[in-house]
Amino acid sequence: MNSLIGLELVRALRNRKFLFFSVIYPSALFLLIAGNADSHTKIDGTGLTLPTYMMVSMASFGALTAVLMGNSERIAKERESGWVRQLRLTTLPGRGYVLAKTASAAVVSLPSIVIVFLVAAVVKDVRLDAWQWLGLTGAIWAGSLVFAALGVAIGYLASGDAVRPITMITYFGLSMLGGLWMPTTTFPQWLQDIAKWLPTHAYASLGRAIEQSQAPHAQDIAVLAVSFVLFAGGAAWLYRKDTLKA
Amino acid sequence: MTTTAAPATTTPVVGFDQVTKTYGSVRAVDGLSLRLYPGETVALLGPNGAGKSTTLDLLLGLKHADSGTVSLFGTSPREAIVAGRVGAMLQSGGLMDGVTVAELVKLACSLHPRPYPVADVLARAGIAQIADRKVDKLSGGQAQRVRFAIATAGDSDLIILDEPTTGMDVSARQAFWATMREQAEQGRTVLFATHYLEEADAIADRVLVLHRGRLLADGTAAEIKAKAGARRIAFDLAGEIDESALRGLPFLTSVDVSGQTVRIQSSDADATVHALYGLGVYPRNLEVAGLGLEQAFVAITEAEEAKQS
Repeated sequence: MNSLIGLELVRALRNRKFLFFSVIYPSALFLLIAGNADSHTKIDGTGLTLPTYMMVSMASFGALTAVLMGNSERIAKERESGWVRQLRLTTLPGRGYVLAKTASAAVVSLPSIVIVFLVAAVVKDVRLDAWQWLGLTGAIWAGSLVFAALGVAIGYLASGDAVRPITMITYFGLSMLGGLWMPTTTFPQWLQDIAKWLPTHAYASLGRAIEQSQAPHAQDIAVLAVSFVLFAGGAAWLYRKDTLKA
Repeated sequence: MTTTAAPATTTPVVGFDQVTKTYGSVRAVDGLSLRLYPGETVALLGPNGAGKSTTLDLLLGLKHADSGTVSLFGTSPREAIVAGRVGAMLQSGGLMDGVTVAELVKLACSLHPRPYPVADVLARAGIAQIADRKVDKLSGGQAQRVRFAIATAGDSDLIILDEPTTGMDVSARQAFWATMREQAEQGRTVLFATHYLEEADAIADRVLVLHRGRLLADGTAAEIKAKAGARRIAFDLAGEIDESALRGLPFLTSVDVSGQTVRIQSSDADATVHALYGLGVYPRNLEVAGLGLEQAFVAITEAEEAKQS
């Protein structure tokens, strides 16, 4: 299976468009949003400056892009082309394909997180303790698994022309409503009530809790755990259905 | 009908026992039973929609039979694949894009328990000169060769090929079958699906004819050719027609006289026409035409059905 992970990685690193959107784009967006903000004024009710706040948002957004896009569209395409069938004629275990996809997406998502941190620290003087930097990287990286599972589920759910719109709607919907692009405190109350149950919201607030040196909220952990079980369960179910049908 | 004799103690490479697979109301495979033995080169011959691809999918465990059992080397298809005993090239088997031919073949080698060196696999499949090309930039015939390389990346005992020469020109086809023969000469069992009788005739030492999911014929290529290679002879005769004399012609499979026109089907048209002149008649507007595989299958089916009723 390592050989497949290796080859998936080689391919991902060759794909400039994919690299741009998952590695460079989140940092660029960070500079665009936080670039002119001053590094001292705190956002109401968070105790965090805008750059600090947006750093976690954009790192989460970058990781989300890498794992969701990396999985869903590729899987749908390769199911259609018959590559998934061809792999089933090899010694690769059934789950190996999905695991290799997710593992290679995770390798791409790590630099996208780290680059946002570097840009934030260098350009916008974001300062945190060493344990916070490490904790943030670990939490955002591990949390992206939730969305990797979602990507797999979409890849097995949709096919052909349907996969891109479904991925895009999910991706923008989760990013925007989850508050990855702007703080949800700017939303009307009814939207805030919806947003706080989205996995992306829980994902980013997990990172913010670390920045605030607080224990993560139980609700966020619960939302992420339930989402992971739902997405992974859905992916497993759709995968089995696809295997029996093919 | 001859089946290749094999000692009863030999585990068949492929065993199908009363296998049925239905899609909605269509019976793609209908009560199919067959056995393949080590070292055989077998053609699975049939028109489009005969159930060839479904048969191969069942054989490889990509589909599951509604009833009946499928075994490879006495185990389940998946176990045989995991043991590296099967290499397969499917019509529907896609390739990973965004990588080079060499990278993909290297992956196939690394996934096989007894791989051959990558360079050997590339050379044997005739793709060494396009090794650095991206997979998504290949022609249809080149892609087929890459699929073949993947199917032969390691030391497998059974090679399965589903219409392998699709998209190849004549010279590529010939080169491909030469490679294929090498595989068979090394003692491998080879099973390939085709709808070309000529391919089956040139390569296989056993031919299975599949039609509407059922096994119509199982024999040597020559036997099948005699059955399916029938030709239609048509001519007009002036005056009184001596039908019993016509029925006495050699290699006939059917005779039909309507008015002055005679239509004959023969398994050896040359001999039949030669004998026809021997009758002392003067056939006019003589036409000799091949039946074509599809019609030949229908002819075989009708013959089989007539035998059964």
